Amino acid sequence: MRRNKKEPAWINRNHLFNYPMLIVGSAIAIFFLILTLMGSWLAPNDSLLIQMQDRLLPPSYTYPLGTDHLGRCILSRLLEGAHTTLGLSLAVIAVVTVIGVPIGLLSGYIGGRVDAVLMRLADGSGALPEFLIAVAVAGILGPGLINVMLAVACVKWIGYARVVRGIVTSERQKEYIMASVVAGSSIGNVIGRHLLRQIASPLGILIAGDIGRTILLISALSYLGLGAQPPAPEWGAMLSDGRPYFQAASQLMIYPGLCILMVVLACNLISDGMRELLDVRGQSTINFRNGRKGET
Amino acid sequence: MVAVNRSLVYRNDLKLTYSLQQSAAKVVLSVRQLQIETTINRQDVLVHEVSLELREGEMLALIGESGSGKSLTASAIAGLLPNTLKVSGEIVFNDYDLMKLKERQWKQLRGKHIGWVFQDYQSSFTPYLTIGSQLIEIVRTHEPLSRREAKQVVLSWLNRVDVPAEHAYSSYPFQLSGGQRQRIALAAALMLKPSLLIADEPTTALDVLNSKKIMDLIIELQAETGCAVLFITHDLRQVWGRANELAVMRRGRVVESGITSRVRERPDDPYTRELFAACPRLIPPGELEEVMSFATERCLFSE
Amino acid sequence: MLWHFASRLIQLVVVLLLLSIVTFILMKLAPGDPVLAILQASDGALSQRDQETIREELGLNTPIYVQYGSWLRNVLNLDLGKSLTNNREVWTILMERLPATVYLFLGAIAVLFIFSVPLGWLAAKYKGRLPDTFSRLFAILGASIPSFWLGLLLVYVFSYQLNWLPTMGSGTIMHLILPSVTLGFVIAPEYIRLLRAGLIETLSQDYILAAKSRGITNRSILFRHAMPAALMPIVSLLGISMGALMAGSVVTESLFGWPGLGSTAIEAIRLRDYPVIQGYVMLSGFFFLATNWLSDIGLVILDPRIRLQKVGRI
Repeated sequence: MRRNKKEPAWINRNHLFNYPMLIVGSAIAIFFLILTLMGSWLAPNDSLLIQMQDRLLPPSYTYPLGTDHLGRCILSRLLEGAHTTLGLSLAVIAVVTVIGVPIGLLSGYIGGRVDAVLMRLADGSGALPEFLIAVAVAGILGPGLINVMLAVACVKWIGYARVVRGIVTSERQKEYIMASVVAGSSIGNVIGRHLLRQIASPLGILIAGDIGRTILLISALSYLGLGAQPPAPEWGAMLSDGRPYFQAASQLMIYPGLCILMVVLACNLISDGMRELLDVRGQSTINFRNGRKGET
Repeated sequence: MVAVNRSLVYRNDLKLTYSLQQSAAKVVLSVRQLQIETTINRQDVLVHEVSLELREGEMLALIGESGSGKSLTASAIAGLLPNTLKVSGEIVFNDYDLMKLKERQWKQLRGKHIGWVFQDYQSSFTPYLTIGSQLIEIVRTHEPLSRREAKQVVLSWLNRVDVPAEHAYSSYPFQLSGGQRQRIALAAALMLKPSLLIADEPTTALDVLNSKKIMDLIIELQAETGCAVLFITHDLRQVWGRANELAVMRRGRVVESGITSRVRERPDDPYTRELFAACPRLIPPGELEEVMSFATERCLFSE
Repeated sequence: MLWHFASRLIQLVVVLLLLSIVTFILMKLAPGDPVLAILQASDGALSQRDQETIREELGLNTPIYVQYGSWLRNVLNLDLGKSLTNNREVWTILMERLPATVYLFLGAIAVLFIFSVPLGWLAAKYKGRLPDTFSRLFAILGASIPSFWLGLLLVYVFSYQLNWLPTMGSGTIMHLILPSVTLGFVIAPEYIRLLRAGLIETLSQDYILAAKSRGITNRSILFRHAMPAALMPIVSLLGISMGALMAGSVVTESLFGWPGLGSTAIEAIRLRDYPVIQGYVMLSGFFFLATNWLSDIGLVILDPRIRLQKVGRI
């Protein structure tokens, strides 16, 4: 890595602490992951227990964040809801990655007819926004998170395959790959040692951003009543359930929304931070171009 | 330092009449102790104490290899350096102290009083606006003319620089050849009769014939408008018969300056001598045959 | 050039056909018997024989591709069937709701530009400095905030607390403000980012320096010489954002009770009104593809280098 000439020497670009977005994003993400994993254990009350005498209570010792319109503990519901939202989103992206990446790798590496078919498929599915597909599926197969997420996964893997394929096809023609092939490396070796490394960073950026976007999609669909069904505690659904009572009890509105915001923010910060890190790495070429003015 | 040297040079010069004649003409641009350094890394001084003087109707050639600081000097004169660079010293243009100019005053000066021709004809015009609309904009930015009057000015200048005026007027930059574009850039720089033209390697990107055309045009137009020309180049041959004075730059310093003929005959600095020696000459016919026979005898790939 | 448009048009038609097949198949997969649905709608008890008659009338006992053919013919004649809930023509219902959505889109696009042009420009101008950081954080925040929550917050602040704007409904320009902000804000980040990158790239071009050396005013350099190049990627993004706008409109419309296509779709899904859902999906798909096609053309018109067929080399 080459250091920007105009920077003072003490800025070490290799140091992780120069990327505050990455640090803050990771910190929030880790915090929420821990909450999710330990959610059931941390929850002070039963998230589904309806107690009408405790409706719309402000925060107290028993109910740290207050109660909703049915007297359920908001904190417990939020912790429980993290499972649904985060878990499902992570699962969808994991499935999509596992399917999309190998197909993209092979398609890009082998090329030919496989590649042509994949690209046509990608054109066709990429032509429609995924929300529209989710609405169509939810509308026709009936609301429910599983239906909708299946539909999203069916469309999304093609996007991953396309990204990976793009990198592989452009990388494949570079000298170092050629050299390695000429030197007798096997396909597996070339993919494993060289291509995967090239793919890792852009894919990381994509995955981090997509986890956030999927969370937004899940909670939006649940808000609309197309996703998680009551009484399941899902963050978007909690907002929609509590909507009539906002004026009376603003905790119903603040906390679930804040949870979604923080988690998605963490994903986006990580994604952007990684992009920044990558940009700096790729900067040697940019510097060279901008250096034109300092020339002569 | 250099300014002192220059006056010494004048005193020593036998052609005293010439220098007297020169000093009679009005000084258009005077640069004293110009220093350009990077602000972020203190050690980096890009241009050291450069001093230049340019009179009405005169052409000063600033010569040096790439990276010698000649373009930076020119950019400093037009106030076009990025603000990450620190400029100190004195630049006086027609009695204005350019170092104290506000951005608004710069805007009035550039284009109208200081014309500029760039090295790269590819990007001398905004690619998605027609030549005509860009030239008209320049005229109307500086002169209170109507569209129609401005168009007259533009068309006459396009004719003057020998491009098909009507065609060029309604074309986009990419539809014209490099030579045409560079000549239009010259027109754009001189349309408003500036008292200083800065030509930053205007022929480098062009082929020989187009270069010659540009050079001749600059000389012609200089004679017509009486502007001073600061000509930046790395190619000595272009300025031999044309520039009144030379200044040779190396590593951010002026190592030699003076009247062209004097520098050519008796260069003071070893670097200047080196530069002259490196300048390819035309090979006389006899020698050429020698070279050819050498090539055919020794070259492995010749038949 | 014409060939380019034509091939894109063919592509458009192919994708639309695909879309129609998918929605048709999904309809067939829909749980529940359409005949029973009709019976429910007309809420009468009909005999087995009546059911058979209806089945025949609807052509449900012919092969599936014949059914698809006749269905497609109807769709092309803008006959999307009748709503199961109120027995009105689906096409009429959709056309009734369309204007509201168009207003919302226009409002959102206006908000989008109000946010993204100044922020993108500031970020580019003060690259790496405070305004850049600010606009970047703003962009990340905008990309992270759930649109329905933003809408709720806006309602809470501007309607409940300050009492400036109506919470729900439609009719006046005041009703349009909150939904437009909600929808526009969520889409803005991508534009800020793109405009920033585009402007930084363009302003570092030599032709900008050339314009500067000719004394062209800053305003003209920004808006005449630099902005068009920076806006080009935005035009193609506008096509793609159509998807985000539609998705957002479903949420925003149902949040604010805005009587557009999105809230119609949600109502239809709640009531299992299949023909309306199908109509919505077809119409939205068509709009999405058509705007993409149009933005493609817009790009060509904006850039003389493509228009006059000399791509490459600036």
